[in-house]
Amino acid sequence: MLIDNKFLKNLLKIRNRKGIFFIILAFLIVAIFYIAPTPHGLTHNGQVMIGILIMAAILWITEAIPLAVTGLLIMIIQPMLHVMSPNDVFSSFGNQAIFFLIGAFILAGAIEKNPRFFTLGIMTTCAFLSFIMPGHGVAALFLPIIASILIAMKIIPKQSNFGKISMLSVAFGCSIGSLGTLIGGARNIYAVGVLSDIGINITFFDWMKYSMPVVLIALPLVWLVLQFSFPIEIKDISVARKEIKKQVTEQGKMSKNEFIVLIILIITILLWIFFSSNQYFGLAVIAILGCVLLFLTGVVNWKDVEKRVPWGIILLYGGAITLGIGIYETGAGTWMADQIFIMAGVNIYLVILMMIVLTVLLTNVMSNIGAVAILLPIGIAVAPVAGISPLLSSMIIALSGGLAFMFIISTPGNAITYSSGYFSIRDLFKAGIFANIICIVIVYLVALLYWIGVLGLHNM
Amino acid sequence: MFKNVLIPISSEFYNKHVLERGFSLAETFKSKINLIYIIEEKTLNQTDRLTISYRTPYEIAETKKEIIREQKLAADSIIFEDAEYFFKNKNISFTSKIHQGEFSRVIKNELEKKDYDLVLMGFNKECVLNYRLFDEVKIPIWVVNKNDGKSILAVCSNLAPNIKVPDLSLKLSKVFNLELNMIYVIDMEDSVQVDEKIKRSDKKTEKDLMFIAESFIQKMKEKGINVILLKGSFEKEVINATEKYNPKLVIIGREQKKKGLLGLPVKNFKRKMVEKCNYSILYVN
Repeated sequence: MLIDNKFLKNLLKIRNRKGIFFIILAFLIVAIFYIAPTPHGLTHNGQVMIGILIMAAILWITEAIPLAVTGLLIMIIQPMLHVMSPNDVFSSFGNQAIFFLIGAFILAGAIEKNPRFFTLGIMTTCAFLSFIMPGHGVAALFLPIIASILIAMKIIPKQSNFGKISMLSVAFGCSIGSLGTLIGGARNIYAVGVLSDIGINITFFDWMKYSMPVVLIALPLVWLVLQFSFPIEIKDISVARKEIKKQVTEQGKMSKNEFIVLIILIITILLWIFFSSNQYFGLAVIAILGCVLLFLTGVVNWKDVEKRVPWGIILLYGGAITLGIGIYETGAGTWMADQIFIMAGVNIYLVILMMIVLTVLLTNVMSNIGAVAILLPIGIAVAPVAGISPLLSSMIIALSGGLAFMFIISTPGNAITYSSGYFSIRDLFKAGIFANIICIVIVYLVALLYWIGVLGLHNM
Repeated sequence: MFKNVLIPISSEFYNKHVLERGFSLAETFKSKINLIYIIEEKTLNQTDRLTISYRTPYEIAETKKEIIREQKLAADSIIFEDAEYFFKNKNISFTSKIHQGEFSRVIKNELEKKDYDLVLMGFNKECVLNYRLFDEVKIPIWVVNKNDGKSILAVCSNLAPNIKVPDLSLKLSKVFNLELNMIYVIDMEDSVQVDEKIKRSDKKTEKDLMFIAESFIQKMKEKGINVILLKGSFEKEVINATEKYNPKLVIIGREQKKKGLLGLPVKNFKRKMVEKCNYSILYVN
């Protein structure tokens, strides 16, 4: 009977049945949380927010609807269920993190217009370039460059360890590099946005101060993991050098526009480093200032912005920030944290380790944006109960959220480099699992020895 | 036999042994080799799908264009260059072209356009390819593996009509001057008998299956072929036999296995055989 319904038939044509199942499940969970009796210590609004969090988790993990649409859904469902007023929800969307994100994407778009910065060694170059533009953008930039070199060397896809390491270096280098600065990964900006809403302000330089040890330790160690996983079989790389020289020659000298982009980028980064804590500047104002300079000098036009700025992510983060605020303000986060600790007991070392492991596991099986958006509100709520600061838990979750090495679905950088054909799904898993274990240890030790031991982040 | 050979190579996987085997077949049978390089659409679509939330349609299209350009370059500079070495330089008639699409669909389209009598290909289980063609293509498919033995192992069973395999294996053993070993497997997990029209009977008793097997063995004996009778799971018995006989080629017919252990349905049976077997397999479809 149901299948005869024209509307349902059309719906089944548009979406697969699995997708429809998860959409229905997600809404059903919100409905259950809305009508179920409220347990002691939790408000009704808090209970509904937990339902919305689970709904968001289901939709982000299964991607039954686009990630950005889930972000929009989170925004409208809160006022619809009387949890937060529309004004409160949409004012969270005006968080400076959103405008910082927009500015960062426009700046990255200006760099992506010319593939130049590639001659310093694959993994390090990718990592360093990921400091100033999104990791997946760097992966897309490096894919044709590395592929050309490998083809010139007659390296056969999937059969050569040199080919595997070269492409995996791009993927892993981008992931590690994206932890280093606020613009490396949008999840970093999201963490800063949520923290600023609860009164903790992080500057561009602060972030680098916290994250750089992880990047600098992880880079050589993950590189070693690759060397051990796939011993290189070739000795002569003179053909590769020749190809690199050829590509540099083809690129020619730096054009006037490229030079202007470089100067504006340097100015913006310096302003971020020295003035992002200034109350009249801030991260977003500087980012937008950089964009305005790009427009004023004529090196970027609005068409470039339309081509290069993924507005969907901005909507997603808007939704994710309102989710975080909702969880925090309704007391749902504190209630969840209490329940976790009543069951598991409070042990600060165990809590930190669990946060890292859980985030790494989740970020590997779903988009890292979604993983951080789900876990960060919980992490912030857990922090005071566990005796650590929200800043420390946010750093742990945001950085661990970038450690997606094991699967193609984990991060766009993995998917883009996989399309080269030079490594298999198994190769990625083999190297990725060891890289993840090493990085879990690194983040754990950095958290205990540097963030807590040296910087005292647990009390901030 | 094998006058017109199609060699499909996916952008997902390239095995040089396929060209080597193509060369030896072309020399033996005076075959014409048709090489197609397939830029795998599934990989391209997968990359699009996984990056759609992070990147703009323009950036996605740009990356796709780059991937296609690089894969065409890889085909020209690595695969077609190898093919020139194996075929053109040795005066073996050969053509090459590049297609974009889904591996199995491209091959099926190509088979509709031209009369081929063999598909010669490599296999890699770690690819996104689904290898539907094993079940959907009507001409023989030779899946090349690097292990190279010194005999031919012909496989017959209650799950296939067993008409083409005996004749073909006899011919190939003579042409290649290889010893022929033939086995007949009674699959105890799927105890049906498949007839000449590839129809599966109802479940049969072990005694009935034994009777049919013995009459087949007798028939082969009259042709001068000694057949070893085996009982158990088709896959396991065949794999064990390959380890025992170390064959250059395993010839398998139109096996219609539908049930596995505890009567559970079997999916992608032929693909799983290729995955488990370390030797080249010729599916006589």
